[in-house]
Order: sequence, then C-alpha cells, then structure tokens
Amino acid sequence: MKRWTKAVAGAAAIALATAGCAGSGGDSSEQNSGEPRTLTVWLMNGSAPETLTTALNKEFEGANEGVTVKYEVQEWNGIQDKLTTALASQDPPDIIELGNTQAPSFAAEGVLTDLTGDVDSMNGDQWLDSLKSSGEWDGKQFSTPFYAANRSVIYRTDMFQQAGITAPPTSREEWLDAITKLRAKFGSDPQFQALYLPGQNWYTLLSFIYDEGGDIAKADGTEFKATMDSPEAKAGIEFYKQLLEASGTTAPKDNDEQNPEQAGIYGQGKVAMMIALPWELGTAATDNPDIEKNSSAFPIPSKKAGETAPVFQGGSNLAIPVNSKNGDLAKDYLKLLLSDKYQKQLAEAGMVPGASTDLSALDANPVSKAMAEASKNGRAVPATPKWATIEAGQNPLKDMLTAYLMGAKDIDTATKDANAALDAAFTG
Amino acid sequence: MTATIHTSVPAGTSPPAPARASGRKRVGLGEKAIPYLLLAPAVVVMLVLLGWPAIQVVGISFRKLDLGELVRGELVWVGLGNYSEVLADPEFWTITVRTVLFTASVVAGTVLAGLFIALLMRHLAGPVRVFVQITLVLAWATPILATTTVFQWIFDQQYGILNKTLVALGLDSFRGYSWFSSGTSTLAVIGILVLWQAVPFVCFTIYAGLLQAPKELYEAAAMDGASPWQTFATVSWPSIRPLVTLVTFLSVIWDFKVFAQVWAIRQGGPDGESTTLPVLLYLRGIADRSFGVASAIAVLMILVLLVLTARYLQLLLRTREGDVS
Amino acid sequence: MKKTRGQTVALNTAGMLVALLFAFPTYWLLTSAFKPSTDMLTPAYDLIPRSLTLDNFGSAWEQPGFLTHLTNSVIVTVGAVALSLVAGVLAAFPLARLRFRGRKGFLLLVLVAQMAPMEALFIPMFLLMQDAGLLNKLPSLLLVYFAITLPFTVWTLRGFVQGIPYELEEAAMVDGLSRFGAFRKVVLPLLGPGIVATSVFAFITAWNEFLYAFVFMRDKDKQTLPVWLSSFRTVFGTDWGGIMAASVMYSLPALVFFLIVQRKLVSGATAGALKG
Repeated sequence: MKRWTKAVAGAAAIALATAGCAGSGGDSSEQNSGEPRTLTVWLMNGSAPETLTTALNKEFEGANEGVTVKYEVQEWNGIQDKLTTALASQDPPDIIELGNTQAPSFAAEGVLTDLTGDVDSMNGDQWLDSLKSSGEWDGKQFSTPFYAANRSVIYRTDMFQQAGITAPPTSREEWLDAITKLRAKFGSDPQFQALYLPGQNWYTLLSFIYDEGGDIAKADGTEFKATMDSPEAKAGIEFYKQLLEASGTTAPKDNDEQNPEQAGIYGQGKVAMMIALPWELGTAATDNPDIEKNSSAFPIPSKKAGETAPVFQGGSNLAIPVNSKNGDLAKDYLKLLLSDKYQKQLAEAGMVPGASTDLSALDANPVSKAMAEASKNGRAVPATPKWATIEAGQNPLKDMLTAYLMGAKDIDTATKDANAALDAAFTG
Repeated sequence: MTATIHTSVPAGTSPPAPARASGRKRVGLGEKAIPYLLLAPAVVVMLVLLGWPAIQVVGISFRKLDLGELVRGELVWVGLGNYSEVLADPEFWTITVRTVLFTASVVAGTVLAGLFIALLMRHLAGPVRVFVQITLVLAWATPILATTTVFQWIFDQQYGILNKTLVALGLDSFRGYSWFSSGTSTLAVIGILVLWQAVPFVCFTIYAGLLQAPKELYEAAAMDGASPWQTFATVSWPSIRPLVTLVTFLSVIWDFKVFAQVWAIRQGGPDGESTTLPVLLYLRGIADRSFGVASAIAVLMILVLLVLTARYLQLLLRTREGDVS
Repeated sequence: MKKTRGQTVALNTAGMLVALLFAFPTYWLLTSAFKPSTDMLTPAYDLIPRSLTLDNFGSAWEQPGFLTHLTNSVIVTVGAVALSLVAGVLAAFPLARLRFRGRKGFLLLVLVAQMAPMEALFIPMFLLMQDAGLLNKLPSLLLVYFAITLPFTVWTLRGFVQGIPYELEEAAMVDGLSRFGAFRKVVLPLLGPGIVATSVFAFITAWNEFLYAFVFMRDKDKQTLPVWLSSFRTVFGTDWGGIMAASVMYSLPALVFFLIVQRKLVSGATAGALKG
C-alpha cells in the first residue's frame, strides 16, 4: 500500500510540474519565400458574404505566389472553447474574428499580435470609433474593426398609414403618440402588439440610457466602475418601462428578443414595430414574404426632438493570434480586407463597414439606411476584458430589467444590485 | 424446492471465503495473474485517459491558468488562491445546498419512477411493453438541444401547450403564467426534464436485472401462493438490489453534474436563483477562461460528491469482498 | 404468474398511461418537426397540429454535412461502445467474483473517475491529446468516448454479475468447468440484458457528446452529429423546425440500435430458465 501511495505521489508531482505546457510560445518564424504557405483564416458564420470572401481569397492568392488561403467559416455556438484550444495549439489559425465585446478580453491575455504600427496601412483613418476602442488595450491596438450593426425600429408602413401616422417618429413623444394611435386603430385584436418589446432587450435599454447621458460604467484609469444607479441610467430604465407598458406587448418580461424569436412573431403580421437588426426582417420574411415590402425602419428616437438616440453598436473585430506562424501574411490579408474595395462590399451586404466611412451603399434599403443613420452615434460597452465574461455568463442588466419590470424590486434596489454585480464582475 | 424459496435466494452474493480452502488445489501463479490481466485494459484506459487528466485538474486548481498562461505554457502557482476566492463568495454555500437538494429530489424521483416502470414492464403484454420501451428510448436518445427547447415551448408563458391546456380546462389563472418566475419553479421544470431523460436508464437497468432472476423462482413463488408483495420481496428484490443501489449512486453523480439543461433553460436565472454548482463552474471558470478557478470548483464538487456518496463508499470499502448486497 | 383478466387489463392500461406520459415531449418534438415554421408559436390551441409539412425535413437534409457527420458519429460511437463493452465485461468478472489485492483501490478509482465534471477536464484532455499528436484525428474522440463510458460500464456490468446467483457457477464448476469457463458458459449468456442496457447507454452518451467533438476536431469533415445539429443555430436566428426535424433524424440511429439489441433482452430472459 505504501509503495503504491508513493508511486501516485510521484506521478502527481510530475503531472503538476509539467501540466499545461502548451503552445509554441510565439515562435512565428517566417519561412523562406517561395515555399508553399497556407494562411488559415477563421471568419464567423453570418459575417462576410460568400461573394466577398471568394473574391478576396482569390485576389490574395493571386497577389502572393505559393500562398493558399485555408478559409473556414466557424459557428458562434461554442466558439469560445474552440478559440481557447485553437490559440493554445501548435498551429493556431492566422486570422480570427472576435465579437467586439470579446476582443478586449483576448487582448488583455496577451494572445493577440500588437498591430499598433500597422493601423495606418489598414485604412486606420476610416476606422469606426466604437470598434477601434474595442480593439485597444493598454494603449495599443490588438485587433482591427471588421463590421458593425446596430438596432433601429422596424415598423409596418401599412399599419402606420392605416392608423393615420404620417411620418415615422423623431422623438420619444411622437413615438408614444404613434403607439397610442396604433392601439386605437388595431387594439381590438387581442393579438395585436403596437411594439414587441421583451423584458430583457438590454441593447435597447442602452440606447435609452445613453440618450439620457448615462452609461453602464465609467472608466477610472484602466478600471471601470458601474454607474447603473445614476439618475441618468434610472431615467433610461424608467422610459423602457413606460414604453413597454404603453405598447401593450405580450412579450415575456423574463426573456430576451431571441427567446422566443421576435422576428418570427413580427412575421406573423400582428406586430406594428420591433426594435431589431436589419437581418431580422429577412428572417421574418422567410415565413411571410409580403412583410418585407410593407416594412421600413426609423432610428430609435431621442428625447430631444430631431436627434437620434445613441445606439449600442455590436460588431466584430479581426485579430492575429500571437502564435501565428504567418503573421506577415496575415497582416497583408487584413490590409486587403480592410481596403475600401472590400469594405464597400460589406456595406452592400447590409453591414456597417468597420474601416470605411462611406455608408452610401446602405441607403439602398430603407432598413439599413435607418441603421446607417443611427450608427453615426454608435457606442460600445466598457472595453474591459471582463465584459466577455458578463456576456457569456449571467448578465446583470437582464436580471435587473426583469426584476424591475415584474415588480420584484423597485428601481433603486434593482439598479443597486445590478451595480454591485457589475462591479464584482469587473474586479472578479 | 420449497426450501430454496424460503431461504432467501442468495442472488448477488460473492463466493464465500471458505470456498478457497475447501480442498481445491492451491491457486497457481497463472491463476493469480488472471484478475490483473482481465482488468488491465480497463485500468490502463482509465488511468491514462481519466486518471491523468483528473490529477492535472487538481494540479491546475493550484495555479492561475487563464488563456494567456495556457497559450504561453506558463506555470503560475497561486496555492490556495483559487479555493479561497471561490469559498469566500457568500453565494457558494447557497448554491451548494441548492445543488444537493436538487440532486436529491431528482434522484429520488428518477429511481422510484424507474423501479415502478421496470416492475410494471414485466407484466405487460408484448406490444405494450415494446411501446413503452420505445418511448423510453426516444426520451433518452433525443439530443439535449432539442429536449430543452421542447420543454421550454411546452412551459412557455404565452404559447405553451401546458398553459393553454390548463386555461382550456377552466383554470384561467394560468393564462400567461410564468413557470420560470422563481428559482424553485425553474428548477422544478429542469428537474422534470432531467428526470424524463434519466428514468430510461434506471428503468432498463432494473428491468434487465429482473430478467436475470430465473423464471423457476417466480413460478415456485406462484405455486406457493405468494402475494405480489412477497414475490417482490423474496424473488425480485434480491436480484435487483445491487442494481438499485448502483443506479442510485450513479444518478447522484450524474444529476449533481447536470449543466447543459440548467444553462439552456434560464442560464441559472432568474437572477441567479437556479444556479447550481456546475453552472458556477461554467460562470467562474469557462466563461471567464479562468481554468484554475474552474479546476478548483471541480475539485470542490468532487469533494461534495464524495461526502454525499460516503455511505455507499463506506459500505463498499468496509465489507470484505467489497460487495454491497 | 397467473393474473386475472381484470388485473391484466389494469396493468396494461397503466403501462399505456406511462408510455403516453413519457411520449408527450417526444410527441411535441415530432409534431414540431412536421409543423410549418409559422405554426411554431401560435396562440391557438394546437395539441393536434393544424397543418403538416415535410419542409423542415427537407431543410434539415440539406443542411450541409449530414452524411459526413453521421459517418463520423457512427465510427466513434460504435467503436467506443464496442471497446467499452469488451473492457467492461473483462473487468466486471474479477471485480464481482474474485478477490485480489488492489481491488478496493481499483473500485475507488472507477467511482471517483465518474465524479469529475467533463467541463473541467477538457483542458487537461486537450493537452494530453495534443501531446499525443492526436488532435483533429477521429481516434482521439474514440478514445475519449471509450474513457468516458468505461467507468459506468464496468460498474454497471459488475452490478449485473453480482445479481446472478453464484450457485449457478458453482454448479458448473462441480460439473468440471474452470472458474473462467464457468463464467463464460453460465454468466455471459445471462448477462445479455445487462449488456444491452449498458451498451445503449454508452451509445447514447457518446452519440450526444458535443464539447469534446467540437473542440478536438478542427476540420469540418471530421465533425460529429451534435456539432452538425448546433449549426442550425446561426447568428441569424434559429431554424427551429429544422432543428426538430434534424433531432428526429438524429435519434433514429440510437432507436435502431436499441431495436436491434433489445431482442437480446428477451432471449436473455429465456436463457435464465436453467436447471434450478
């Protein structure tokens, strides 16, 4: 028995001492030119359209002899674990796409290549501010913008017309007024909803908070302190409640806009407005093709008449893992992807380009036009590495909204608890 | 034959000790090696593929292993730092108690239901039995992504068939009723989901055990005029008792570790009220990519499990043959 | 056991009720698979679906990769189950019947091996596979599933062996068979039902495993079915009808596997009619 114990202890010691020897430690040795090289590019499903990537890869291969682009589309589901193991492996991909809320956490771990010196050559002067700041860490630039999208209010033009609303609302008052008119006209149908607004649509909440002059958190050096209990944030939350109650929505107060999928419900035809991303109209149209021609969009109205509310800008960044063996090639690839030519194609596909200020292609479609207009006032979440955890885990903003809307907590308690949870997450 | 029935059928016993000394030839070296040879494949696989990673988990629990350290292959020791961080959280104990209660309820329900259905299956007509078995297998085999979604739809506040049916039956208070408004009711729904997919294994295992009891014993009991309860006590129970203990033990371990369903239904909400230890492991370890903390929570979970199953382990290690009968 | 007609009817009714109760969520899944996507969320009372369509199956079938992923799943699952059963039966015999040094240690190892949460093990497992050069190769997944299913296979089969009266082996040995021969001739046939139960469970565990399959296999053509299933959830929203249809397609092999081996459950019972 004793011998056996010793053997186990010995094995344990070895295990403890050697466990975790992964990665090649940043040995990005460059091979001699002329040898065939493969550039592995991982982009996410739903990002760049296939026409873009096919053309891009072809052009890149043509310009770089002996180079093959191994382009793989990855699914968002489980991507965190996949990226973790991929980056820790001996042959990580050369280019990865990171959600803009995820980018700081990767940068802070030191697993991305420093691109500060390359910003200018990658169309840096046209970079979208919110995505640029997501890519920054400790004064350096670790990932580049890719594309962004923000929400606007998608609405039924035919219903508006029938309800006597002549123009889309440009202020909160007009918005509430439109809701009243819609309910007056269609309210007799118990399934009608003037605005579909679930309780946990925190992206929309952010617009209201930003509009009041508040924010989720305030930067304090490199640290962040949550500011959900500020009067501005509370005012934003109260407007959310006001809007929700005025709209007569039957959406669940304890779930978000994907559960159930609001696009599907909009597609059923009994909803006059939803606060959504442009592609959600496309999803609604798969069930109900007519709905697209009867829909348009307007930016989320601001308190102040004539202005649009600031919006939460979601999007993706691009980065080069620090262990990549083809760092130089990867940079060239990024230069190409971020050039005006391809950024224009992104706009044509209905996304806000991350490296181009030319949004004209988005005007072709009323919904993306509204998004483009609002995007000029786009904001990002606090650029703290901890935000990735909050998003992957339990979001205190969602819990706060549900508790307040369902009357479980009053506004002061709800915001205080959210603040505490956020602060704990920021420091944890 | 009557005598054989009344002395409790020694199913489930191990060869008694005296057998060795009762005049058989001395155990030769070849025969001595047999147990080890037979065990070798299982031992090797478990040591290398489970044991080694498990030891590493313990080791990692004393390190700071975030994404950066993992990619760079760094060793950063923090001693008990991860443990104190986890244990200092006041929520930790609430979550642990919640997990234990959840596990106990689901296991009790699963084993009782499985036992009942297995006993019932013995008396069913062929086609009915096969139908029951098919429904059980389908419950078991359907991927969790689909089953959690179906359960969410059934219990949906607005469109769920359950609420619609209750309202149709006249219980109007269930119109728009939310089954997920509290941690307890959320865990109840999750518990039903887990039970639904767990009962098949328990049921089939016990049923297989019942089939192992030789038919003659049942026939003899019938001839002796034994009541159903007596038949159960003297014929069925002895042959399935080790299995019932076994599936209870396994169920405790599996239900304690359940993560996917709890996360998929409400991500540990509302407001963290349905968060169990596996969810905590995910939140602190995986979502954060802090694998040191994740490993510490894993070790703590194993310790809690050891405590929960202590009685079983004690019985196991105490008895001479390591048997539980 | 002789039953009255009333008892028979009562028992079978109870059986049907149990079956219907258990089948309800599956029924819901099936009807969702056949419902047009517009009918997924409707305020109308839809216990019986209003309309049926095969569209979801069409889109599920067209979802890229089904056949490749199916093949991969079959390879790793069947392989892992087979290995697990062999090693499990071999190990169950000494653990249930023999006494030897280290027995308790091994039992403890098997027990504790089951307790570790898989989510925490994946980093060390990943490093192990990387060092062994097996990443992105199907054998690594096969080994992982073999390892995952082995502990409870060993443990459960041991339980089944314990449930078989030792007298039967003793009788066989009196007749001249060796210890091991007695085990083979007497116990193994009776173990049929136990092997069925264990193999079905092992099959389902391996068949449905997602995390390791997703993380260890880099290339798309090496992925397994659970990964294929998760690809229905895109950033553009989820094709629920497609997922339901895909889940039906997905569970069918497990059901087929069960139907094939369940006949053993019956034959195992008749084998129990030995000399008493």
